[in-house]
Amino acid sequence: MWAALRSRSSSLHPWKQGIAVPPGLNPTAFYSSSFTTATTNKAFLSLQEIEKVLNDVRADDVKVLSVPNVHADWADYVVLATGRSTWHVKNIAQALIHKAKQKQKGVDRKVLPSVEGQEEGKWIVIDSGKIIVHALDEKAREYYNLEGLWTTETSQKEPNLELEKAFVKIRPKNNSKKPVQKVA
Amino acid sequence: MASGFASKWSKVGRQLLGGVGNNFSGLLSTSHEITCGNPLFQQQRTFIQMRTVLKVVDNSGAKKVMCIQALKGKKGARLGDTIVASVKEAHPNGKVKKGKVVYGVVVRAAMQRGRCDGSEVKFDDNAVVLVDKQGQPIGTRVFGPVPHELRKKKHVKILTLAEHIA
Repeated sequence: MWAALRSRSSSLHPWKQGIAVPPGLNPTAFYSSSFTTATTNKAFLSLQEIEKVLNDVRADDVKVLSVPNVHADWADYVVLATGRSTWHVKNIAQALIHKAKQKQKGVDRKVLPSVEGQEEGKWIVIDSGKIIVHALDEKAREYYNLEGLWTTETSQKEPNLELEKAFVKIRPKNNSKKPVQKVA
Repeated sequence: MASGFASKWSKVGRQLLGGVGNNFSGLLSTSHEITCGNPLFQQQRTFIQMRTVLKVVDNSGAKKVMCIQALKGKKGARLGDTIVASVKEAHPNGKVKKGKVVYGVVVRAAMQRGRCDGSEVKFDDNAVVLVDKQGQPIGTRVFGPVPHELRKKKHVKILTLAEHIA
């Protein structure tokens, strides 16, 4: 069954460009197919390499989040980086792609991470399988507020407790001289 | 509001009855089940085309849009495709106003879409996320489930803003 799956995926999704991760396959199947072709595991930049590249490019405010809850089954790490201008953001993307190309120097078929938003340098996403890098400029970072999105989702349970307390009935204080009329 | 999705693990198709009754009678015993499984009683969902009204599931300000054009595909747009739409209903103070022509990415479609492992995914409603011409989402949050198919279609930004990934 795995052989059929592999052949089907290779025929439907040619590996010439981008990470064509078939959405139905789970990560274990993905790795099993990648071990048959020894080249593909070189394509993915490790976390240390990405950090090094971002330091070289001098990206601001680099944050690495391991997203356990919502995005668990399709990514392991999410890296956020800010660029000072659109040119800087494009440069961050270019540097990461260059690093990926360098890593696969001897290979005849290179697998590059997929890039979105390249021509407009406001928000560029570099998707390399397990690690997703978001390069934003400062305005976009403030506008989309991705840290707020991902840190509030872990603390979604907490507001509920306060909500239960909020609906507790509080007896109004009776400061008038009239005695309280008892409701029969 | 439950907008769940059903994924069928076998590509049942529409050619169930009509001559293949021998195999079928073994599977379904009562007439009620036959009625429900009968393709004549199931609604055949189709593409998103001109005049289709879709729900907007981000916080860009619009509520309902009507599709003007499906950008790719002769018959119409499917899950994960981009459409051109006109805003028909909007929140009073939002980023988009009624009557504006916007681009959108279909994130939920009533028509089933096949996945590469043979399963199909379909939703209860047609929903769209508004983007600009370059593919940047106009809103900052996406509500409801979104499918994996967006990753292949290079809409990872919408996936990151989503609250639940189907």
